[in-house]
Amino acid sequence: MSVPLPPGATGLENIDPDQIKTFKDFLISYNKLTELCFTDCISDFTSRSIKGKEEKCALNCLEKFLKVNQRISQRFQEFQVLANESAIAAAQKMGGS
Amino acid sequence: MSQKEVQNMQMIQELEIEMMADMYNRLTAACHKKCIPPVYGDPEIAKGEAVCIDRCVAKFLDIHERIGKKLGQLSMQDEALLKK
Repeated sequence: MSVPLPPGATGLENIDPDQIKTFKDFLISYNKLTELCFTDCISDFTSRSIKGKEEKCALNCLEKFLKVNQRISQRFQEFQVLANESAIAAAQKMGGS
Repeated sequence: MSQKEVQNMQMIQELEIEMMADMYNRLTAACHKKCIPPVYGDPEIAKGEAVCIDRCVAKFLDIHERIGKKLGQLSMQDEALLKK
């Protein structure tokens, strides 16, 4: 049986705990993504097969999800930088006086 | 600092990072739900959706901070009451 390895790992012997964490995060977001796109795109259960429209919807959903996440992460980082800067400024004010 | 103190500090830092990640995941889920309608005719983010996401992230973090402040106040009050 083949065990799926985290990307970048060369063998089972030496896997970095950080890699496992990243891989776990990836799997979690994969599951969330499946849940979201399935709920939003698949609602016809009169047939077993996935229709062209359903597949298109799910693939668009995936692509958009990734873009939305990217955008959110950009905005989040911007706030993070701002918060850090003001924390540093406050610390300097305290230490400088 | 003693070894115990260093250890505790590390634990607190790890917890802070973990909670930050949890907050981030919740933010992502909330803003996706609020800004992206469940119709996927197009894989691009629409203009209005992009603006919505930007505001949603800003507002979420703003509220997070405000609630944190209030929570801090309330727990200080509680502690003061308990000491009486």
